[in-house]
Amino acid sequence: VNLLLVGLNHRTAPVAVRERLAFAPAKLGEATCNLLGVAQVQEAAILSTCNRVEIYSLTAQPDEAAPAIRQFLHHHHRLTESVDAHLYELRDADCVRHLWEVVCGLDSMVLGETEIFGQVKNAYAAAQLAGATGMALNRLFQKAFAGAKQIRTQTGIARGSTSVGNVAVDLAEKIFRELKPCTVMVVGTGEISEATAKALSSRGAGTLLVCSRTQERAEALAGQLGGRTISYDDWPANFPIVDIVISATAAPHPIITREKLLPLMKLRRQRPLFLIDLAVPRDVERACGELENVYLYDMDDLQTIAQENRAARERELAAAHRLIAQHMAHYLQWFAANRAALAARRRLAPTLQTPAIAT
Amino acid sequence: MNDRWFLWLAVVSYAVSGVLTLYRLRRSQASSATNSLNYATMLAGFAAHTAFLYARGQIVQRCPLTNAFETTIFIMWAAVLFYLLIGPAYRVSFLGAFTAPVVLVIALIALLGLDDTPHGASANRSPWVDFHAAIAILACGAFALAFVTGLMYLIQERQLKSRKLTSSFLLLPSIEQLEVINFRLILLGFMMLTAGMVGGVVSYKIVGHWTVPKITWAVGAWLAYATIVTGRWWQDWRGKRLVQFSMVLFVLVLVTYWVVSRLGSFHGGPP
Repeated sequence: VNLLLVGLNHRTAPVAVRERLAFAPAKLGEATCNLLGVAQVQEAAILSTCNRVEIYSLTAQPDEAAPAIRQFLHHHHRLTESVDAHLYELRDADCVRHLWEVVCGLDSMVLGETEIFGQVKNAYAAAQLAGATGMALNRLFQKAFAGAKQIRTQTGIARGSTSVGNVAVDLAEKIFRELKPCTVMVVGTGEISEATAKALSSRGAGTLLVCSRTQERAEALAGQLGGRTISYDDWPANFPIVDIVISATAAPHPIITREKLLPLMKLRRQRPLFLIDLAVPRDVERACGELENVYLYDMDDLQTIAQENRAARERELAAAHRLIAQHMAHYLQWFAANRAALAARRRLAPTLQTPAIAT
Repeated sequence: MNDRWFLWLAVVSYAVSGVLTLYRLRRSQASSATNSLNYATMLAGFAAHTAFLYARGQIVQRCPLTNAFETTIFIMWAAVLFYLLIGPAYRVSFLGAFTAPVVLVIALIALLGLDDTPHGASANRSPWVDFHAAIAILACGAFALAFVTGLMYLIQERQLKSRKLTSSFLLLPSIEQLEVINFRLILLGFMMLTAGMVGGVVSYKIVGHWTVPKITWAVGAWLAYATIVTGRWWQDWRGKRLVQFSMVLFVLVLVTYWVVSRLGSFHGGPP
């Protein structure tokens, strides 16, 4: 028997193709079952995310199963034109290595991202629930999950935030003891300022004040994150109660200057203040950052940190690959030793019957 | 003296603890295992440290505070004690990594640089004498640990201000937390120092000797710490300046203590 992977990802296929091959989560179990029995596929699991669709399987006839799985994909999604050119096929060791790389986030668009870990877990759970996995895939996935956790802690592959919003949250957590009692004020709405506000809010920031020249947008953001809007002209008056300011106005000149801030810091009783300036041209005068207990970061600063974190993750790639090679070797040893037993375990017909396609 | 070997053992433990965790900090390997390892080595050092104080206590037949060397070692013992107590409670990651080197350096200064001639037991004994000394020592231990948190604060503050973040940045606690712990330790130390001074007044009435340098030193230290406490409470003194002030103050208190004790026995003759 062999392990076989047929799939595509963001590197081999444009989004227009990927979205057509995506499996609806509710239909994942049924689709997985339909795979069983196709060209002696004994075990199967389908991983479907916005960046990849991959079918992991155990089969006695990989030469027949591979085209059959391709055909299954076409039939299942009722494709009229072929996507064969976008699909890749990996067997045995290559298949195992690929799964490990996927689970560890090495194959993701953002290196080391951890969302994929949960997505693979869900995919595996769905396949297991449908009764489509057996000894080989169960062990493969479980070992991959355990190994990925280890690799994430032992290497820096997932360390540091790589988006502006999350970098801002990391910084906030290094300034304030807790985010819960913090009040966040968003001055000027925009894509990045909203993303940053959301990131802060999702990590526990307590109160949110939004002010914007466009009232509807301010209300929409406040409504979404459970905050309240304040009038655009009122934002300096709210300064004494604010801990974090996200500023992203279209103003041509700095709206927060050192002279304005100095008396406000007195009113704030010198509590730390985190200024996140996402506007270009900048909203906050650079000299504000020199004031005591004021921490000022602009777009460039945050992007530089995000970029450095990405670079740092890349430097950890070799270490991650080394660990994967070690872990893989254990699995492959086990696989080789149990090959005969795996081949003998012909699966019973799947519970959710009838192959969707006739090969 | 043989009892000093215990102290060298403690110093080695602290050195191991410091080197190990700083190495891991550089490699950005933070985990509960790192903190536990640090804690375990600090605990081993503390055990040897305690063994020294006990052995010395047996020799001098009283609380081992008879010279500047013993006192300094006692202060460091108190600092480690506070670390062992508050480290886990506040979950201050890497507090131990910074406590170890500070204790190490001061203990080494004491071992290599301070005169260590134990004084014998005094005829005129009162428990008040030992009480006021011991509680003042504990106060200094709290100030020492406040110094450590101050050091961490300055490193973290510098990183945040310079916008150049090393990966170890993520492992240190937030500046606000460090500031709060720093101040709480100072407050605790200040209250104990106050109690120690009250004890000093009572023991003076019983034992009846004192020296001008000592009184000046004690009152000066008390006033300086009182300034910090009141400034923070009523003047909104916060952040870097206050932390720096408290750190300089601790060094000053320690160094002037060494000087004062060289001017003669701290209590004007064997206490």
